Amino acid sequence: MKAEQVLNALKTALGENFRNPELRPRPVGVAKKWTVEEIWAEVPREAIPQAVATLKSLGPLHISIISGHDAGEHIELLYHLAVGFGTEGGEVMVTLRTHVPKNDPTVPSICGILPGAETTEREKIEFLGVDFVGIPRRDHVFLPDDLPVHPWRRDEPEVEKFLHRMVEWEKGHEGKESAGS
Amino acid sequence: MKEKRAQDPNDPVLPAVEERELVYGGLEAGLGEVFEVPIGPIHPALKEPIRLTFKVRGERIVGVQVRTGFAHRGIEFMGMRQGRNLIQILYLSERICGICSISHPIAFTQAVERAAGIEVPPRAQYIRVIISELERIHSHLLWAGVAAHELGFDTLLHLTWRVREKVLDILEELTGNRINYAIPIFGGVRRDITPDQYPKVREALRYYRGLLNELLDAFLRDPTVEARTRGVGILEPKEAEELCAVGPTARASGLRKDVRQDRPYLAYPDFEVKAITPEDYGLTPMGDVYDKIVVRLLEVGQSIEIIEKALDNMPDGEITSFPKIPALLAHLKKAEGEGLGWHEAPRGEVIHYVRLVSGEESPLVWKVKAPTYSNLMSWYPMFEDQEVADIPIIAACIDPCICCMDRVYLVRDGKEEILTKEELLRLSWEKTRRMAR
Amino acid sequence: MSGWAIFGQAVLAVVGGGIVGLVFRGLDRKIAARMQARIGPPLRQPFLDLGKLLVKETVIPKTAVAWVFSAMPFLAVLASFTALLYLPLGPFRPILEGYGDAIVVLYLLAVPALAMALGGFASGSPLGVVGAQRELVMLMSYEFPLAVVLVAVAWRLSAQGIAPAFSLGTIAQNPLWPWVGPLGVIGLVVLLVTMLVVTPAELAKIPFDIPEAETEIAGGLMVEYSGTYLALFYLADVVRTLVMAGLVVAIFIPYGIAGVLGLSGAAAAAVDFLFWLFKLFVVMVVAVTTVRVGMARLKVDQVARGFWLWGTAASLAGLLLLALDKVVMG
Repeated sequence: MKAEQVLNALKTALGENFRNPELRPRPVGVAKKWTVEEIWAEVPREAIPQAVATLKSLGPLHISIISGHDAGEHIELLYHLAVGFGTEGGEVMVTLRTHVPKNDPTVPSICGILPGAETTEREKIEFLGVDFVGIPRRDHVFLPDDLPVHPWRRDEPEVEKFLHRMVEWEKGHEGKESAGS
Repeated sequence: MKEKRAQDPNDPVLPAVEERELVYGGLEAGLGEVFEVPIGPIHPALKEPIRLTFKVRGERIVGVQVRTGFAHRGIEFMGMRQGRNLIQILYLSERICGICSISHPIAFTQAVERAAGIEVPPRAQYIRVIISELERIHSHLLWAGVAAHELGFDTLLHLTWRVREKVLDILEELTGNRINYAIPIFGGVRRDITPDQYPKVREALRYYRGLLNELLDAFLRDPTVEARTRGVGILEPKEAEELCAVGPTARASGLRKDVRQDRPYLAYPDFEVKAITPEDYGLTPMGDVYDKIVVRLLEVGQSIEIIEKALDNMPDGEITSFPKIPALLAHLKKAEGEGLGWHEAPRGEVIHYVRLVSGEESPLVWKVKAPTYSNLMSWYPMFEDQEVADIPIIAACIDPCICCMDRVYLVRDGKEEILTKEELLRLSWEKTRRMAR
Repeated sequence: MSGWAIFGQAVLAVVGGGIVGLVFRGLDRKIAARMQARIGPPLRQPFLDLGKLLVKETVIPKTAVAWVFSAMPFLAVLASFTALLYLPLGPFRPILEGYGDAIVVLYLLAVPALAMALGGFASGSPLGVVGAQRELVMLMSYEFPLAVVLVAVAWRLSAQGIAPAFSLGTIAQNPLWPWVGPLGVIGLVVLLVTMLVVTPAELAKIPFDIPEAETEIAGGLMVEYSGTYLALFYLADVVRTLVMAGLVVAIFIPYGIAGVLGLSGAAAAAVDFLFWLFKLFVVMVVAVTTVRVGMARLKVDQVARGFWLWGTAASLAGLLLLALDKVVMG
């Protein structure tokens, strides 16, 4: 599969919603030179399921991970998807960037289209406080269920407090000055 | 046997989850005495902490719940938020996993190199490939031993782990360490492979080439192993694809999914890697545990070939484009951009995403995906309707690397951690000296 | 024999049996280790293990049925040692001969397994319950072939006009091999093989260590046992190994070498006794050590199906062959 093919399919399917598409060539190989092309684009959050479904119709789809970070006003999520495995050099890496406003941190879940995305969506719920609408399970993957904070949010003063408390607690157990009491 | 889920393959835009019966792991307990069997977080079948709670009727599994997070160390948080520079984070990335301890650095350095626009000299690319393929041999042999142990076949465990020593010796010879090789650095590698080391590596490869058929015989021709692994923990190709399984877990189901083949990186296009499925051994892929053994053992042979080819065609030249660390750090501090780096670890796809901001030493974003993370979901269909006796081997068959997957939670006081480490190191030195006497 | 003489002999047999059993366990572990290219523990390791367990704290879980949980280890040890007293000890006749016969031995062999299963049920741990269920399934599957083997041999003896045919002492003194024809020899070999296959199952060793299955259910029915109770189960297991090997030797290879060497009296008894120990050792190595080194653990349904189908078929075939042989030989 060619990267242009994927790009065009996404453009036709999403139209206006497909913004700032970029093809980033990646030279690989030493004796046998080759270029792997990555697609990077912005998609509004409502159009994510449609984009994923379009990619799925192109060939076998794999989701590597959803990465994300707190960008101040909004949370940025990046869907790292790969479409079309099975042939030599035939897989195209597609990264869809989407912005989630903090006052309404919801994104439609893609688990219905790609059940394998469940783990990574659940992880985003606990780490960034983003809610995925329609996800089959939303319990924590890694963090304790009663952890009151989302550690990757930069506007959570609680995180530092929480870490601080942890350290103080450990100090107390080391027989040093117990700060908690 | 298994109830297949309704799904129309011709309909690309699928309805929302509520309307579909495609919730993996949503097994319902039926009639009869059902009780819960907890496995883990500490259990002899698990080498790492994870909790699997099984609903069991007699010997049948009717439901399973997976709870991870017991080995969370906060590595991504440490990298993003605690003022470490990229070289310090490289060390962290190496310590994400003890077994695939070059996979994460390789993916991480690639991501940073993409973000900062750093070129890697050809010789360095070849060295990275050689070390990571050696690691694949050691990791697959390790897994084969563990799998034999889970089946109660301790003799095979001892034999495979004994032959595994050879590749660990070679890795120690090349890198100075049995694990945590500290080979990749941004822009190249830290150690060269000298010509007098070539024969040693070749000798080890000959040893494994001769041994491979014996290993295949020992595992695949043994009637008890076959009785325990055939038809156990089946992952259908469709399920493997939907659940985004990676590595040998996906390949055993017949999917030709291998990052080295699909989107090659580093020097991998030179080796024309083909994804291995049980078909290459003349079997129809069933996706059961037996197939996973087949795939992993065949991949040992594949790695031998890749290393030999790499040694034959090793390019000359520099091993790093930034011989001076301060210059590298200065370049990285100025760099602005984002990048993805991936690698086919022994267990499957590792992917790192890094975003650098100019003027900052730490990256703004660092996201790590370990192979087990992707394979976690494939446990649900594999455990479905199996027996209690099959739990350990099914749990082991994706080659779970829990510490790889768990990364964030308890952030310790840096000082204290170093103290503990030194203490441990001192103890281990003392022990070595005591034994040497 | 007076009661006191029997008592004295029994004490001797129990102490000696315990020691020999532990030595054999040490040998078993050492040989298995050598087969697996390991160094293995020192020979005295089982003694150290037992001693260590005896001084450790014995924990009774809160959820356990305390009296059943505590009674079962004693029951297992008692039954194992009592079974030992019904066995011909090399040149010596069974100590308790006349107080019961081979059928009692069969029951006594089943008692420790039942005790372990009950202990597992009483331990209040789900892993223990799973282990106990497996133990019961195993018990039901291997007991029948074992019983058929004993019955076949005893029936052939009684057909020969030897009584009491069900006494192990009689069986050991009148080996069947010289009397039977070719058909009978085949039948006896089939029975011997069945018996050797049943042995690791009876002792719950790989590939039949399903009720304990360390990697699956973390020790299964033993999971909650600790300290003294675990030591008692360990001792029962060690002695049971001796008893099973002794049973195989008594039924199929009861021969001594004193006659061949031309010895008599005390020397003959001593040599035969040592030779008997050697035979036990050989049976143990063949049926337990090599098998547990060379195989993976099977699943309980595979074992149950295997014993019900193939075990039963093999033992019945042996019985049938012996009967046919009787008809042919007259």
